[in-house]
Amino acid sequence: MAGPILVSLYYSFTEFNLFQSPKWVGLDNYLSLFSDPKFVRSIINTAYLTVIGVPLGLALGMLVALALNFPVRGQPLYRAIVYLPAIVPVVTATYLWRWVFNAQYGYLNQMLGHLGLTGPNWLSDPVWTKPAVIIITLWGIGGTAVIYLAALQQVPQQLYEAAAVDGANGWQRFWHVTWPALTPVTLFQLIMGVIAAVQIFAPTFLLTQSRGNAANGGPGDSLLTYTMYLFQNAFVFLKMGEAAAMAWILFMFIGLLTLLILFSSKRWVHYGSE
Amino acid sequence: MSGPTQLSRRRFIGSGVATTAGLGLLSSCSKSSGSSGGKTTIRFSYLWTGEEAKALETVIAKFNASQSYIVVKGVSNPDQQAQLAAMTGSKGSFDVSDNFGTVTGAWASKGVIKSLDEYIKKDNFDIDDFVPSAITQCRYQGQIYQLPIAVNNSALLYNKDLFDKVGIAKPPTTMSEWAEAIGKLTKTSGGQITQLGLGGTSGAGIDYRLMGAVYGGQWYTDGKPSPTDQGNIDGADFYVNNVIKKYGVKQIDRFVSGFGDYQSPQNPFYQGKLAMVIDGEWQPAFIKQFAPKLNWGVVPVPYPDGQQDQANTNLVNPGTFFIPSNSQHPDQAWEFLKYLVSKDAMRTFTVALSNLPARKSLLGDQAYADIPNFDVFLKLLGDKNASSIPSEPSFSQYTSDLGTADDQITRLVKTPAAAYAQVATAAKSYG
Repeated sequence: MAGPILVSLYYSFTEFNLFQSPKWVGLDNYLSLFSDPKFVRSIINTAYLTVIGVPLGLALGMLVALALNFPVRGQPLYRAIVYLPAIVPVVTATYLWRWVFNAQYGYLNQMLGHLGLTGPNWLSDPVWTKPAVIIITLWGIGGTAVIYLAALQQVPQQLYEAAAVDGANGWQRFWHVTWPALTPVTLFQLIMGVIAAVQIFAPTFLLTQSRGNAANGGPGDSLLTYTMYLFQNAFVFLKMGEAAAMAWILFMFIGLLTLLILFSSKRWVHYGSE
Repeated sequence: MSGPTQLSRRRFIGSGVATTAGLGLLSSCSKSSGSSGGKTTIRFSYLWTGEEAKALETVIAKFNASQSYIVVKGVSNPDQQAQLAAMTGSKGSFDVSDNFGTVTGAWASKGVIKSLDEYIKKDNFDIDDFVPSAITQCRYQGQIYQLPIAVNNSALLYNKDLFDKVGIAKPPTTMSEWAEAIGKLTKTSGGQITQLGLGGTSGAGIDYRLMGAVYGGQWYTDGKPSPTDQGNIDGADFYVNNVIKKYGVKQIDRFVSGFGDYQSPQNPFYQGKLAMVIDGEWQPAFIKQFAPKLNWGVVPVPYPDGQQDQANTNLVNPGTFFIPSNSQHPDQAWEFLKYLVSKDAMRTFTVALSNLPARKSLLGDQAYADIPNFDVFLKLLGDKNASSIPSEPSFSQYTSDLGTADDQITRLVKTPAAAYAQVATAAKSYG
């Protein structure tokens, strides 16, 4: 495994088109990327999806898990319904959502119409394409919810009973008992969520597919994500050197971000033994 | 949207899924060709699928029946990335494949595909019978690297019933007539567009490459991208001024979002939602299949007023065959490639696809007589104003940047002049 990784590092310092021998160019690939407007655009798009999409996914996943933890009749059925989208393949889900998002005939805008609202042009207006992707990812939060649910069931009941004895209300019970118990799982889900978000590819690729070939970034390049631009550099423009540089930048960024999150976790994650 | 882009979508629809699956597919076609039973087996990996693949298999079967020492094994593998990756090793997994004229420069400059000049010279192979605009895209630095079979070009399709309703007696021939027709044929109700005079095939925007050419614009000049050529700007301006600015990008977006699938009875042109559309020569066959009752006609894209010498302008994009440099049996591959582009094979294949033949001697062939309105496309292909965008190594990146610019133009984010100036700046770093 180390071999290909090291080779890709070497390629990132070369001009390489797959077919001819790589030519050493030093830091040129890295430097030229930062003056490339499309590279910058891809970072902005990816940051948008990550900064908004990941916290929303975690919050919603937690809320859903809390709801699913209520001992009500038909609970297993509700849990199954919430989890179901998580097992739908991303390609199928995205095609399904393309239909739902249709500005004129889609279910979403029809529902908004019933509420007296005019739905946006989800997939053709650059302002709305990224929210559309976030909605697709939120639809599949069943996995997140299930992990939260498992964590919720590990919270000792005595703590709730003690809190009740102390006269804690619902919010106080959540903030002082439930949330601390969920923080280790939140840390895990945050790291996994961020890694998945910065590497998002399939939904954006498929949503923009109808607009042309693989070199498309959607309306106004609004869905040109980091990995999509990496893919374009590699397989459309045959710029393997720049693609490798992008991959290494991403790798280092993910490493750094993970370390930062782990470092910050000392302030907000509570483990049972503490 | 440009012709090549339309074509890519048409042919490679769904291939993105396979693409994201990675290059694993390669293993399925890694069995190399070889010799057996006195015959040399060569592998022909093609991007076509479905009916198009069937037509190709008919050609392969005919070739095999005529051969005593070569056997062709056809494999449908509609994954361009897999095709590309298979050509990177020293030993290839196929001997002949297809793509478009647009890849010639990029691949030839990197030594990926074989120059055919030596074979052409050895066999005294007649290149002059190929349509010049099609063969232009097969050349790189004077040498021929690919040979064309099926050619695509575009013209203006119009709905005769909608024209009758508003009292337009004949389709437009000049830009002023076109602008007037667009105005008369665009209908709105309660602020919403219900019928658009002229639209893109699957969304807002239009074939800006062709529009530029109609105004005399050149997309490459002396091998360098020249997006800011005045004709290119004028072509985009025509659409922006007569459609986008007049009816509003948001309204148009909303209208086109209700378009059905391109290749289905719900195509907006078949449904009467678009009175005019610039589309390719495959439409006669599609309309026959999906909208047989549609009362339609086709004419060349109008020319600028007072510039009749620009009449019949059309951009062509040939489907092509090549021999990868890592082919194990290039000589046998050449024999098969010659057959693929022979008159018989070309006729069989292009009639089945309702694509244009790449040979001049087939342009008047009776085989195409039964396809409604096909004659217009055939005549356009043979016209002196048929041209192709040269296949330079930077083509794909240039096309991508032009796509971004087209989008900005269509959304009125930038004027055509500003959007193409931005591409000109980016093009300086193409290398």
